Amino acid sequence: MSLRINRRGFLAGTAALGAAGLAGRPAFAKGSVTAAIYPGSWEEAFRGIVAPALAKSDGVTLEMQPLYAVDQIAKARAARGQPTFDVFVLDPGPRVSGIDVGVFEKFDPKKLKNLSAIPGGLADEWGVTIAAQVVGIAYNPKKLPAPTSWEDLLKDPWVSRLGLTGFQTTFGTVSIIEIAKRFGGSETNVDPFFTEMRKVLSKVATIGAPQAMAGLFQQGQCDVLYTNTQTVSTLKGRGVDIEFVKPASGAVAFFTTMHVAKGAAEPENAYKYIDTVISRDVQAALIKPPWNFVPVNKEVTLGPALPMKSLDEMAGFVRHDWSKINPLRASWIERFNKEVAK
Amino acid sequence: MTDAVAANGWLGRLRPAEWQLALPLTLAFAAFFLAPLGLLAAVSVFDDDALTRAGFAQWAKFLGDPFYWSVVGDTLGLGLMTVAATALVGFPLALVFIEASPRWQRILLFVIVLPLLTSVVVRTFAWIVILGQEGVLNRAIVALGLSPAPVRLLQTEAGLVLALTQIEMPLMLLPLLGVMMRLDPALRDASEALGASRWRTLFRVTLPLSAPGLVSGCLLVFASSTTAFISQSVIGGNRLVYLPLVIWQQSLVVYNWPLAAVAALTLLVSVSACVVAISAFGRRIGGAPVGVPAHG
Repeated sequence: MSLRINRRGFLAGTAALGAAGLAGRPAFAKGSVTAAIYPGSWEEAFRGIVAPALAKSDGVTLEMQPLYAVDQIAKARAARGQPTFDVFVLDPGPRVSGIDVGVFEKFDPKKLKNLSAIPGGLADEWGVTIAAQVVGIAYNPKKLPAPTSWEDLLKDPWVSRLGLTGFQTTFGTVSIIEIAKRFGGSETNVDPFFTEMRKVLSKVATIGAPQAMAGLFQQGQCDVLYTNTQTVSTLKGRGVDIEFVKPASGAVAFFTTMHVAKGAAEPENAYKYIDTVISRDVQAALIKPPWNFVPVNKEVTLGPALPMKSLDEMAGFVRHDWSKINPLRASWIERFNKEVAK
Repeated sequence: MTDAVAANGWLGRLRPAEWQLALPLTLAFAAFFLAPLGLLAAVSVFDDDALTRAGFAQWAKFLGDPFYWSVVGDTLGLGLMTVAATALVGFPLALVFIEASPRWQRILLFVIVLPLLTSVVVRTFAWIVILGQEGVLNRAIVALGLSPAPVRLLQTEAGLVLALTQIEMPLMLLPLLGVMMRLDPALRDASEALGASRWRTLFRVTLPLSAPGLVSGCLLVFASSTTAFISQSVIGGNRLVYLPLVIWQQSLVVYNWPLAAVAALTLLVSVSACVVAISAFGRRIGGAPVGVPAHG
């Protein structure tokens, strides 16, 4: 049996296909934007929620490059004014590095339609905050009593089940600073952490690479660690026994910001993308499981999984000045390698 | 070889067409390997991370610090232990392989290549499940009464070597099998017919003849395990510090590119030195049986 198609039928068919194709792809007419995004759950969430929302509202196609914050700065620095993406997504430390090395375009918050929906002070000349992270202690309630403070981490029974990470990540750095503060240290002095840690080092259950911590907790390799609420909600959603604790001295909050790359190919679409990310509907979708983001849009109703009832409570959380931390971080990392590893 | 060719040396033997064929690869090698390597060397001789002041401060810092020497030593030690473990496990497996029927050989080959078909990230995370406190291995140890409580395997050198042995095993076995499959079984038969025991045949005939494959396997495993950043950082955790971790921290977390370049060059030079040493050692054990009568 042979399939017979005459020329007229073929032409009609192709024309119909072409018309359908044109009708279904108005987005390409408005171009695209390339955004760096954290690999893993951020990438999945943005693909599932932000990309369709941006296509619907502005007809712009979202392309993503999965890169950690530090990799984005390294890549933009290496590109020397010809960035491979238009928008950064960064934690406070890399944000300060980015400002220092000059890889951001000046940011004009007035271009954002949703600016009025986010608390004051979250947008500046360099970028805008699109999500928050709240860091505290997480533990396994089936194995351990609830810790109440940062100093508990260095005491029994917690210390022998502790999963420790160093200064490579933002959450690791701020947590160690908070531990140091309880023993007389400060934002710029983590000596007490090292002094206290040396006394209990042989008891510590795990000293892990940050990206491995969730897996190590799941495997029972450690039962208490410092981490953010997003990780806790995600693990809980998978049925892991884990609870979040706000330490007595307060949980730590830091902001995730977006920035337009200097020399961006699509600066206008970059603003449209950022505007979409902070819009109410997108933020409301991002706070739901399994994504569990901490939102910045005031019009979003907060769920029970979040460690606060309203965004105004964020003001009471512990914050850090990364312009002071960044210059010290290299020496802290080296010291951690020398004194805590091995 | 004719006298004329010998007189002309190796250049005389290369007809123009031959070196022209090698030209694309040579140019690609120069552009994408030698030039970046030169850049790396250039970056290492700056004092500051903005690359403005030239100097040897980062080299002095690295080489003057006993901590970094111990990191270099640990990295090379890890490579040597992994090489020893893969060779000890891999060689008997290769012996089984060459004696097996063609049907079993196909099955074995599939099993050997299987680890290469899964991503290194998956293999490494699977080892967390095996080595963890509540992992398969620890449950077995406790159930068998070998230890009252789970033993620490993750984040120990022993655990890391164990995992790397499995992860790197194909790199040892594939070159080894390639050589051993070509060994003439008649040589082993002749050795036994002449009165040598099976052990003697193994050590005086099979092992020396397999040496080229064994050496290539060792080189691949050594180079791969000393630079296995993912396995080292996930299984070793941050308790164990190796050069790839230092390079990553310095280049991507603190942006001290000169120090990262120093660490990268140190890794390159020290691993290359060991590779040269291993292949020299291989030539000695591999070359011995040729023309040397076996002494009683």
